[in-house]
Amino acid sequence: MPVFKTPFSGYAVRFSPFYEGRLLVATSQNFGILGNGRLHVLDLLPSAGAAGISEVAAFDTADGVYDCCWSESHDSLAVSAVADGSLKLWDASLPPSANPVRSFREHSREAHSVDWNPVRRDSFLSASWDDSLKLWTLDRPASLRTFREHSYCVYSVVWSPRHADVFASASGDRTVRVWDVREPVSTLVIPAHDHEILSCDWNKYDECCLATASVDKTIRVWDIRATRAPLANLAGHGYAVRRIRFSPHRESVLLSCSYDMTVCMWDYRAEDALIARYDHHTEFAVGIDMSVLVEGLIASTGWDEFVYVWQHGTDPRA
Amino acid sequence: MEKAIDRQRVLLQHLRPSPSSSPNGSPLISASVCAAGDSAAYQRNSCFGDDVVVVAAYRTAICKSKRGGFKDTYPEELLTAVLKALLDKTNLNPNDVGDIVVGTVLAPGAQRATECRMAAFYAGFPETVPVRTVNRQCSSGLQAVADVAASIKAGFYNIGIGAGLESMTTNSMSWDGSINPKVNVFQQAQNCLLPMGITSENVAHRYGVTRQEQDQAAVNSHRKAAAATAAGKFKEEIIPVTTKVVDPKTGEEKQVTISVDDGIRPETSISSLSKLKPVFKKDGSTTAGNSSQVSDGAGAVLLMRRDVAMRKGFPILGVFRSFAAVGVDPAVMGVGPAVAIPAAVKSAGLQIEDIDLFEINEAFASQFVYCCKKLELDAAKVNVNGGAIALGHPLGATGARSVSTLLNEMKRRGKDCRFGVISMCIGTGMGAAAVFERGDATDGLTNARRMQSHNLLSKDAIS
Repeated sequence: MPVFKTPFSGYAVRFSPFYEGRLLVATSQNFGILGNGRLHVLDLLPSAGAAGISEVAAFDTADGVYDCCWSESHDSLAVSAVADGSLKLWDASLPPSANPVRSFREHSREAHSVDWNPVRRDSFLSASWDDSLKLWTLDRPASLRTFREHSYCVYSVVWSPRHADVFASASGDRTVRVWDVREPVSTLVIPAHDHEILSCDWNKYDECCLATASVDKTIRVWDIRATRAPLANLAGHGYAVRRIRFSPHRESVLLSCSYDMTVCMWDYRAEDALIARYDHHTEFAVGIDMSVLVEGLIASTGWDEFVYVWQHGTDPRA
Repeated sequence: MEKAIDRQRVLLQHLRPSPSSSPNGSPLISASVCAAGDSAAYQRNSCFGDDVVVVAAYRTAICKSKRGGFKDTYPEELLTAVLKALLDKTNLNPNDVGDIVVGTVLAPGAQRATECRMAAFYAGFPETVPVRTVNRQCSSGLQAVADVAASIKAGFYNIGIGAGLESMTTNSMSWDGSINPKVNVFQQAQNCLLPMGITSENVAHRYGVTRQEQDQAAVNSHRKAAAATAAGKFKEEIIPVTTKVVDPKTGEEKQVTISVDDGIRPETSISSLSKLKPVFKKDGSTTAGNSSQVSDGAGAVLLMRRDVAMRKGFPILGVFRSFAAVGVDPAVMGVGPAVAIPAAVKSAGLQIEDIDLFEINEAFASQFVYCCKKLELDAAKVNVNGGAIALGHPLGATGARSVSTLLNEMKRRGKDCRFGVISMCIGTGMGAAAVFERGDATDGLTNARRMQSHNLLSKDAIS
């Protein structure tokens, strides 16, 4: 299956919601510690085997790119979270010289996560190490709102796939918070782990189901109506779990990647929850995504500077 | 730069949760486990070229003190011979050497340090290359090699020589001055003064090593050493030394070239050994036949950073992987290797089963047999070319001698022989061990293997 070598360490990968084979990859030089960043737009070439990825565009930034996401409203727009705290909007149909289209600079520290509203499709959220979250629209130069309740780095923010105004955030302060944009403060706080929480994601079929991933090496699945105990506790990663994504196709399946360099697929309702473990990365695996348009198509990237795209059940390196 | 440090701090927290974020006070991941390489068979070092490699290791023949080939040779001549061999055989530019560290035990410290400095000049080193000595008793030679490796890792210099020198003809074991009466109320200090033979008897008694086992170990040592000599295995490592011997009867001086260990007695048998009387204790089991020999000799090991060796085109004989020195009860000092070997192997990120070859110094057959039994070592992997009972144990030189013997044997055995260990017990109750890896076996940076099947269990569940 296709493999792509990036010059910098991979940080995030996202499938386009518009084109089957299009990918966005965020990378940072020197493991994101110091140096530049680059955002790649990649296309899978059908039936071209292992070399079947071509680069459509690449955009350089003056600091590492930690996360990225596609616009849900326009097929060529994407937004990235940059380590200097800025959020940059890119148009893949324009040459690098015309990019970035916008730069939003309010966060005082590293921006670590971005997510585009998939329901109303008019806004996006950002999460930063300055402990805050911000809501943005393209027609305004400044953020609409700042959400300031977390007491340490916010690592992840993700919109609810059902409700246009609801989102969740995961933080190093060991809590996950659920917010409603219409409310002045967060509507729910879950002290989900005893260690930093690095990622969270909503179930795509159950609006009350949320998963969290932590430095304690576990993934927990929660029902937000009853948060005293998790629905499931998935152990098996050897180090901190860096990112998780629920499957867009199967309700109880989720994908995770970890500092233990593996990518794992889980079915949290099954007795043996771990469905598959992929150990193709040789450095920290930090970016994963599952295609909405092609069932079972998985992409991953990591600090080993490789982007892998493969069909679940096959060998990413084959 | 501050920002980079800050980012590292945040990311490090993901790998090493701080105690404050762990309510029960015990972090789930500890950094030391990481440092040991997670039991993986390779370190990150090889691909970065900043690990320490052995380029060459030579020794003189080991000769019986007072009666052997070096009985009329000045000690520094032995060191001169091996230092000069390093330069001649590798074409090393002597100006590039950052330090020469010599392990040496019995000689008075300042005099020996001076002799070593002079030896460097005799060997052709310029005045700009410094020399020092190190004394950790019987492991001094290995300690010298470890000190050089540590200094290279610390960045003090890129190329260094670890050596060992002992002339037990010139310097014998003795005590200067009176003994502080305080030792009488301090058992452990008192035990430091025990003759080594008594500690051997203690080991045999405390751990039940029989006279029969000890004599058998001695026979094996002589047999293997004789076979290795007959097969010419030591030819690669021994540097012939041209010197003089004086005939004790006629006083006649003769020029000779010494290139063979002269302590080996191929005809040694259980029946001949069993006739010997215990030396240290009336009903004891330690005899002259199952103890190491008193000898003269020297060895030298050339170490450098891997990238320097590659740039200069030197062959890589071995990789210095880890070193450990430990303390044990002085009354049974011989058990040192049984403690030191696991420590060194662990810090190399390996397990005892991963080790393909051992050089364990046979100070006494009692402690050698005990250590092999305790660690459950495969006899076919230990001292395959004999040990100190046959070859001799020139205290300060033994460590450096073992490096050349071990690495040359690993070279002969080919790629199946990847990791080797050198260890010895140390008088006054210590042990030292080092792990070496063959030079051409280092894993390149490879991607993970194809996943053949899922067993539907997590890694945690399997282990």
